[in-house]
Amino acid sequence: MLLASGLTIIFGILNVPNFAQGHLYMVAAYLGFYMVMSYAVNYWLALVLATFALGILGVVVYFLVFYPIRNAPEVNLFVGAMALLMILEGGALYLFGTETKWFLIPWTRGVLSFGGLSLQVQRLIVIAGTVVVMTALWLFIKKTSLGAALEATAQHREGALLCGIKVSRISAMAFVVGTALAGFAGVLIGPAVLLMPTMGMGPLLVAFSAIIFGGLGSIAGAMLGAVLLGVIESLASGYISATYSLTFVFGIMIVTLLFRPKGLLGKEVWRP
Amino acid sequence: MKKVLSPMRIGWSLALVLAIVLPLVVGEYMTSILLLIAIWSIVAVSLNLLYGYTGQLSLGHSAFFGIGAYALGLIAVKLHIGFWPAFFAATAITGLFGFLVGIPALKLRGPYFVLVTLGFAAIVGVILLAWVDFTGGANGLAGMPRPNPLPLPSGGSLRFDSLLSMYYFVLFFLVAISLICHRLVHSLIGQTFIAISHDENLAEALGINTMRQKLISFTISALFSGMAGALYASYNVVISPDLAHFARGMDVLACLIVGGAGTMAGPVIGTFVMMAIPEALQIVPSLKTFINGVILLLFIVFLPAGITGGFKALFSKRDIQG
Repeated sequence: MLLASGLTIIFGILNVPNFAQGHLYMVAAYLGFYMVMSYAVNYWLALVLATFALGILGVVVYFLVFYPIRNAPEVNLFVGAMALLMILEGGALYLFGTETKWFLIPWTRGVLSFGGLSLQVQRLIVIAGTVVVMTALWLFIKKTSLGAALEATAQHREGALLCGIKVSRISAMAFVVGTALAGFAGVLIGPAVLLMPTMGMGPLLVAFSAIIFGGLGSIAGAMLGAVLLGVIESLASGYISATYSLTFVFGIMIVTLLFRPKGLLGKEVWRP
Repeated sequence: MKKVLSPMRIGWSLALVLAIVLPLVVGEYMTSILLLIAIWSIVAVSLNLLYGYTGQLSLGHSAFFGIGAYALGLIAVKLHIGFWPAFFAATAITGLFGFLVGIPALKLRGPYFVLVTLGFAAIVGVILLAWVDFTGGANGLAGMPRPNPLPLPSGGSLRFDSLLSMYYFVLFFLVAISLICHRLVHSLIGQTFIAISHDENLAEALGINTMRQKLISFTISALFSGMAGALYASYNVVISPDLAHFARGMDVLACLIVGGAGTMAGPVIGTFVMMAIPEALQIVPSLKTFINGVILLLFIVFLPAGITGGFKALFSKRDIQG
């Protein structure tokens, strides 16, 4: 869900489906892993540090990859994102190796149970963290002028430009906010899953499906899409088959695109 | 009047002669590399038809490659049918898949189309991996047949059991498919493809049935990719779900862009460069993806038209100055 919101912000503003978002999240998870496991940094501190680190990485990536080709045809932007994905995955393979890693923190194995339901403690933290950050993001967009500029740019680029908004600066900022969200999500989810260089791809595809399902360019839509899709995915893997749960997610995406391309809450389908 | 000996034709003939002579000189290992380059070139050529000429970026071609390979494997191994019928059936099946996927996917444009093709590739990957009874799961399939000998009119027969003969077999398809694409692009249909890649709305306003033309391009492109997959299955004897992984589709796209999309030589040059460089430098396999990514990034930022596009720009500049 965090991934989906980060993607929506980048997608909405820059109109780039950032295929590398999942891999930024993978990098963050590894970053957190090494900070906590090798340098004994406090987990919460690592969470904050990784969020900032990914924000900085976002600046670097934006000016290295997306800024030079911002006026090129949009397919070039997809290819740029894809190149970034390959660099991140290849780099991670080389640096971190192919074997999966356990991100161990004291409460990794902790399980809470009440009334027959049992939940990993970390999953609760993930849920709580998501709610907190989503609320903060919501307030940022709705209550600050910078957030308003962000939303305006997403809605209408030229219009925003006419109103005196520095669109290029806002684009860079959107990218940074998006990658920082990926950083936060990566460290948050790290202890609840196994780390491997390809871990970003599954969540990325689910996040894209959630965005399309929920409605493009609408952050509320992305959140709603993520929640509904999560429920459908777990129901499908519980009652039908776990191996094919990804297939259901994509099936929903494709059906949505066919019958309601703007998604549940989306406003317009494609920009001129 | 068309010149018979234009520099283009000389270049192509030289490349073809080189492709025929080279494996006789360089030994077994290099020949097997050349063979793989030829197979992936076919995929790049077919993707070029869709992306380079029709302007539709697909990340799903690994799925068609995988479908072609598995279709050949399943038909030949499980149904005990000879190579030739299985080969043509596999190609036709992939074309059919392309047609069926194209109908919904091509209604979408831009990022949405890319996402659906990527999603399709991911679904095919999951099915190949999870449907163990049918596809053999992660172990894949083994025992694909090599092409049966073809009788020659002069008596005797054309056999395909050595590496060299297999190489020429694949090369034949690469040349044939390149020629077909060349003819297609320079036909009226091809001109409508190019019109769509420039401006889809304008093309539609001019009376081109863009949906139908895109579907033709997509289906042919899928069909040729499937053919390449079937060739690969026959050459390699063993296939695994890894073939259909969408990372393969991205690699092919990288080859195409580095070589130069929308040109005839681009996909072949690009595949050759992208596969020969790591081989020549003996790069650690784990660094390959990284290096491919860096190369792709440099090209998309500095030379989005690729190697052939760069040459073209170089020559046209010289012409203007001279």
